[in-house]
Amino acid sequence: MPSSRGIRLASVALALGALSTACGLGGSTDGDAGAQQASGSGGALKGTVTFETLQLKPTFTEYIEGVIASYEKKHPDVEVKWVDIPFAGAQEKMTANAVAGTLPDVVNLNPQFAQALEAKGLFVDMDTVAKDIKADYVPGAWDAFTVPGKKGSFGIPWYLTSEVTMYNKDLFEKAGLDPAKPPATFDELLTAGAGLSTAGKGKSYGLHPALENRFITDLAKQGVPLLDESGKKWTFNTPEAAAYLGKLVDAYEKGVFPKDSITQDHSKSTEAYQAGRIGVLPSGPNFLTIIKENAPKIAEQTGVGPQITGASGATNMSVMGLLVPKSSKNQAAAVSFASYLANAENQLAFSKIVTVLPSVSAALKDPYFTTAGDGSVEARARKISAEQIAKGRNLVPVQYDERVTKAVIGKVQLALQGKLSPQKALDEAVEAANAITG
Amino acid sequence: MTGRRWYAPWLFLAPALAVAVTFFLIPFSNTVVLSFTDASTLGGGHFTGLDNYRRLLSDDAFWLSLRNTALYVVVVVPLMVVLPLLVAVLVQRRIAGIGFFRAVFYSPVVASMVVAGLIWSWLLSSDGLVNSLLRALHLVAEPLPFLTDSRLLLFSAMAMTVWKGLGYYMVVYLAALANIPRSLLEAAEVDGAGPVRRFTSVTVPLLRPTMVLVATLSAIASAKVFAEVYTLSDGSAGPGGEARTLVYTIREAGLGLGGEAGYASAMSLALFLGTLGLSVFVTRLNSQERQA
Repeated sequence: MPSSRGIRLASVALALGALSTACGLGGSTDGDAGAQQASGSGGALKGTVTFETLQLKPTFTEYIEGVIASYEKKHPDVEVKWVDIPFAGAQEKMTANAVAGTLPDVVNLNPQFAQALEAKGLFVDMDTVAKDIKADYVPGAWDAFTVPGKKGSFGIPWYLTSEVTMYNKDLFEKAGLDPAKPPATFDELLTAGAGLSTAGKGKSYGLHPALENRFITDLAKQGVPLLDESGKKWTFNTPEAAAYLGKLVDAYEKGVFPKDSITQDHSKSTEAYQAGRIGVLPSGPNFLTIIKENAPKIAEQTGVGPQITGASGATNMSVMGLLVPKSSKNQAAAVSFASYLANAENQLAFSKIVTVLPSVSAALKDPYFTTAGDGSVEARARKISAEQIAKGRNLVPVQYDERVTKAVIGKVQLALQGKLSPQKALDEAVEAANAITG
Repeated sequence: MTGRRWYAPWLFLAPALAVAVTFFLIPFSNTVVLSFTDASTLGGGHFTGLDNYRRLLSDDAFWLSLRNTALYVVVVVPLMVVLPLLVAVLVQRRIAGIGFFRAVFYSPVVASMVVAGLIWSWLLSSDGLVNSLLRALHLVAEPLPFLTDSRLLLFSAMAMTVWKGLGYYMVVYLAALANIPRSLLEAAEVDGAGPVRRFTSVTVPLLRPTMVLVATLSAIASAKVFAEVYTLSDGSAGPGGEARTLVYTIREAGLGLGGEAGYASAMSLALFLGTLGLSVFVTRLNSQERQA
């Protein structure tokens, strides 16, 4: 039975996981874009700023309230009102708010989640209003809020995660694999998975596919182009992609994945890993905290390695951002608060509470991320993911939203069951995705 | 009639009317209007005439949902009419400890659907209790894919619906059984009718209105089924969403930030008309048989 603290942490990790991987903090500028903007135009900031986050209470209450207090001290005429909403039902709430024109002044979203609102042109272009701070951020993170085929960037990156490869050393040993050498490529991953499953004899398996979370990212890592330049036509039905899907089909047939796993999502893969039922879990390092809470014994056996990479060598990062809706009546103060919250100092402090990485380049240079610290698995994961961030990108275009994911993954599931050939499944997936995005 | 004011009855009706108008009539009319537009969940939308309905006719997902939902109704309704009746007859007897059994049959009704879904997915997963039993008894070599084969998933969901609804309809039948005059049953017994004959010739005919009620209620519930399929499949309705039901498809189309409110409304209206037709059909069937 996970403790209530475990559940809380789990939900936080889920919220973080929904974004991306790791982050850090630091940096020299105070990144107060709105303040600069306001002072540039000669006006002082004042009024109320409503700030909405996704499921950060109660774990991060103290931190967020601290930042708000210090911001209000700096800008005594601005009052920040913090609203935290649960992940479940967040889409519905935002939809209702967007329709009513009552979105908060600053809202915490990831790019995919924000896409539907962005497509309606609801957000302020940060390339324009926060251009002074753009250079402070890791380029891949800032670009996560750009839309292929469109100008501008609709959010300030807040914190990042970059997937690492967690694996169960005990299961590795039992399968005769080297526990000091985690798989690094997709082929190695599938080979290790097969060995782990054979040794597990139906009690444990090599991998969990977590298709909705990983499939499209894994294609991108292998150099498969996902979307054309117009941002409307999907292009991932290439022979390379079909070959990779063919390998997954093969793996499913041979029992590398648990039978029921094809319709299960990332949270089930984490559960399965915590239960010692799967050997490898590629995931954000923030999940290490959850595993430690819920399954201390598994956490002890857990090793971490770099993100699995493919032909392109690219690593993925997930980004959580701060967005300012155009409907905000207090845009200057909103941008100012958002850039303050996402400045180097505040992000560094945040990533010391939870295993996320800052999106500000200066913060990432903090020794906290560059040394393996106390030698713990978290410290190693932090170091690995911080190194990855420098060359990482958000590989999945914002158009890959919930509906597209569902349409694509549905076809992939049918391929895994042998009901569609890999190429046909991808062709149909592209067709279905185009019908939604086009 | 002095001193009576014409509006007095309306005043009494006002609270109920206000609720009905606000939470039923207005949203319903809004759905009808939306179904002729291309509105998204974010608002907007233009009048598109019958486009949404035309799209329905050629939408594979819609037809698949319709087929699955029809299958659901066809399988679940007869089971829901017969099984609870048999159980009710069993637990109707006044013997020591019968209250316990009544409570046991009723308990799934009280359980939350999500909890029930979790229990059933544990039972039916490839390494769950059911598969372990089947394998231990050497009835199957490989675990049965209850949750990952769309057909089996649909039947698993039906089993869950029956399990969950059994107790509720049992109570409905118990109430009806209590209203059957003992004198009729005793008279039949004196005439030499055995327990089976008494059941088929006295109890069942007298319970007919209740059976029609149960059939209607369970048909409507089956036409709207969603939670069972959703919880058993982790929200996926099976690989490729092939076990989708109408409500599942409506939700998928109409929910979320990019949802197509117009199209989902058209589907909802189709479901409404279908359900209406179904209940009229069941009621008609009953009245025709009565006249015959």
